[in-house]
Amino acid sequence: MTFKWKSFKNYRLMTKLIFTYMLLTVLPVSLIGYVAYSQYTKSIEEQVGEYIPKVLDQANESIDYYLADVKQLPELLYNSNQVIEVLRKDTYQNKSSLLQDRFIVNSYLTRTYINGEADVLGAFILSKNRLFVSSKIPYSGFAEDMLPFGQDLELKGKQSFLLPSQVPLSFKGNPPYILLMRQITDTENRMNLGTMFIAVDLSFMSKVVENLETVNNADLSLLSDEGQMIYHTDSEKIGLMDEQFQKYPKINGSFRTTGEEENRLISISRAGPDDWVLLHSVKLKNLTERTDLVRNATIIVFIVIILLGTLISIFLAWTVSRPIHLLTHQMKEVEKGNFEVDVTSKSSDEVGMLAKSFHSMVAKIKDLIRLNYQIKLQQKEAELYALQSQINPHFMYNTLETIGMAVEEGENDTVVDMVSILGRMLRFSISNKEKMVNIDQEVQHMKDYLTIQKIRFEDRIEFSIQDHMETKRFVTPKFILQPIVENCMKHGLDHCHHFKVEILIEIKDQEVHFTVKDNGPGINEAVMAELNKYLQMDPMGRRDSKFGLINVHGRITMMFGEQYGLHIESKGGIGTEVTIRIPLIPMDLLNEGERAN
Amino acid sequence: MARRTMTLVGLFILVFVSGCTTTNNKGEFEVVYSKGDVKGETEKIEERQYTIAIVPKLVNIPYFNAVEEGALEAGEELGVKVIYKGPTVADSTQQIKVIEELINQKVDVIAVSANDPDKLVPVLKRAQRKDIKVITWDSDTHSDSREFFINMVNPETLGRHLMDTLAWNVDEKGEFAIITGSKSAANLNVWLNWIKVQQRDYYPNMKLVEVVASDDDPHKAYMLAKDLLAKYPNLKGIIGNSSVGPPAAAQAVKEEGKMGEVAVVGLSSPNPMNEYLKIGAAQVVTLWSPKKLGYLTVALATNLVDGVYPSNQQDVPQVGRIHVIEDTVIMGEPIDFTKENVDQYDF
Repeated sequence: MTFKWKSFKNYRLMTKLIFTYMLLTVLPVSLIGYVAYSQYTKSIEEQVGEYIPKVLDQANESIDYYLADVKQLPELLYNSNQVIEVLRKDTYQNKSSLLQDRFIVNSYLTRTYINGEADVLGAFILSKNRLFVSSKIPYSGFAEDMLPFGQDLELKGKQSFLLPSQVPLSFKGNPPYILLMRQITDTENRMNLGTMFIAVDLSFMSKVVENLETVNNADLSLLSDEGQMIYHTDSEKIGLMDEQFQKYPKINGSFRTTGEEENRLISISRAGPDDWVLLHSVKLKNLTERTDLVRNATIIVFIVIILLGTLISIFLAWTVSRPIHLLTHQMKEVEKGNFEVDVTSKSSDEVGMLAKSFHSMVAKIKDLIRLNYQIKLQQKEAELYALQSQINPHFMYNTLETIGMAVEEGENDTVVDMVSILGRMLRFSISNKEKMVNIDQEVQHMKDYLTIQKIRFEDRIEFSIQDHMETKRFVTPKFILQPIVENCMKHGLDHCHHFKVEILIEIKDQEVHFTVKDNGPGINEAVMAELNKYLQMDPMGRRDSKFGLINVHGRITMMFGEQYGLHIESKGGIGTEVTIRIPLIPMDLLNEGERAN
Repeated sequence: MARRTMTLVGLFILVFVSGCTTTNNKGEFEVVYSKGDVKGETEKIEERQYTIAIVPKLVNIPYFNAVEEGALEAGEELGVKVIYKGPTVADSTQQIKVIEELINQKVDVIAVSANDPDKLVPVLKRAQRKDIKVITWDSDTHSDSREFFINMVNPETLGRHLMDTLAWNVDEKGEFAIITGSKSAANLNVWLNWIKVQQRDYYPNMKLVEVVASDDDPHKAYMLAKDLLAKYPNLKGIIGNSSVGPPAAAQAVKEEGKMGEVAVVGLSSPNPMNEYLKIGAAQVVTLWSPKKLGYLTVALATNLVDGVYPSNQQDVPQVGRIHVIEDTVIMGEPIDFTKENVDQYDF
């Protein structure tokens, strides 16, 4: 049991729920059904068991009543003095007087018994070695010498019934009968005149049985005190012995068998005449036939309820366990690193709430991961970019070539300027540990770059940098201007002979606006559309940008939010204007932040 | 896993549902309803044997001998002890003595054929006080001193019939005399009365000359019969109102050679009258079966001990139906014995 309980505890929730629900429905329903049905059948048994003995008593009464009439039949003999006179005689002078007497008695018997009484099959008188007979139907077996009891039988005035098995008498067609035996006493002389036998047809029993209001298919039998069947509704059994008779409880009432294949309810009335017993036997099956409908209905209802209960319990268990199961599955997915799980639950129950909480948790985790992870990634890229620009061999080569040419031409001042500018630029690049620099430094770097380009291309380039703010007090992410300007130069120098770049730095609405304006060829519409698409896209999505612009935009939005970033306006042939917006961050605030970190 | 659980649940239900049907295997039969046990034959209580005392008017006359025979037969058949005891002469004093002896023997029932209705009352009442049932038969006493009276025949029927039998044999005319038993015997006096009534009603040409009492003494009766024949030469008939009368009268008629002149009828047993009837000394005698009377008395006395009183139209085994009028039982109809049928009877 403990093992069972332990293993039960380890069952799945659904199994447990189904088991519990089933227990809760099946148990009460089966209990009620069983108790109701068994009580019902029991009460029917009791009712019938109480009712039938009463009916049997009544039947016994009518049998008694009938037999009392039968027992009166021999009395009719005393009505005829002539017959009594014949019976008193014991010697005859000749045969004819004997035959005359026989004629007298036989015709009296016929008149009185055969014609007078409907149920009498035959009347016999054995008297002083004479046999007087009158019978309704032909008979065999009754002869004075064949009978075990002659006329000298001492009945002491009593009469008794003989059963066909006790006498060799049988009638044509074998009707069931009983034989009343009665001693004929000469009441005046106190002498025995002989014995009278009257065979009575048992058909009266079927009348008695017919009138009984009993249950269908019941057997009714009349047994002698020894258990011999005097009468049975199944006429073939008449004369047989009831094997179990001696074992029956000695009661007036009803009892049921318990050890048989088909148990029966037996009602018994022992109040019959001559210690006869009236037995009523009905199969319990037949008795409860009418309750079978109830039982079947109960069973059907029981099955339906169990089915419904099972379905409902499975459904309930499923509704409870399935979201949990789903949630578990999704949690495992998240555990594996897949945050793209759909945990939306329609229900608003506890499981739904759990799913929602889990959903928001996953979203939060996703956001946090994005912020930290993506920003770091972008940063690395920027650093890589910076590293690239630092060692840009093209720029280096061009600059060094320009310096070489200046040396040849003997322009020493220019050489000195260029070398010092290049050195400053390299230092700026090297110091790339800092993400944020003073705007001033960034602008200076830009100025250096443009100055070198100016020296190289001489009059083909013209640039101006204007700052309408205290550039030293505020900071900006590093290398946000260089990609823009480089981009301008790349396109502008290819198309214009007189290229002009203007950089404007100003504060607008607590934002720093860097505006890079050129007079280049502008950006054609197709490229512009693609560009804008990239700019509006989630900057996280595309890290490997071919556009330096987008890289910058991505970094800014990443750092400061979507409201910041690049804005490009371009008019073919007139020029392009790129505006970089970043929040206004004072120097000291950055320092504080860095210290806090 | 779930399937296994389901099987478990199913099994559990099965066991539960079938649980109660297979329990009772104690006996082969289970009583559902009983109105009470039936006593087996061995349980029947052995009944005490009853003792019934039959007291006739006197012993050793054929009539009462026949009664004794019937009474003893009944005692044997019904399983009761029958004491048949009576005075040697029809005298109430002697009869009282017999009854007192029986009271001392603590019998259950005393059945008396009273010699004198008045004189017997005290002793019978004494018997009743000792819880002895008292009934009368043949001759009654006062009704408050006995349970009931067993009469052989209806006295009116008998009295009128006796008168008729004489009238048939004397052509309804002439003088006649009556020999009765004891003048104090109640039954005889009632019959006597009805004889007179019948004569007055139907036979104006007949005349009752004298009623003599024989005291049931056969010899005295014979003497009285002789006297009557001598005293009344025109006498046409004699009625014997008690059983000793007709034999005595027939003997006297035969001896006087007046057979055919004087008709003899009356109450008598067939055996003593057999010869007289055949030779014509007596024409017809009337009686009942005294054997039957003895048998009936014992049968009814036995029933009485069991608390059963006789009822009208009751069928008494070996006797037949009896009639009951108030507290009087009437055994049956009188039988006429003639020379044709007298051989059939043996008492």
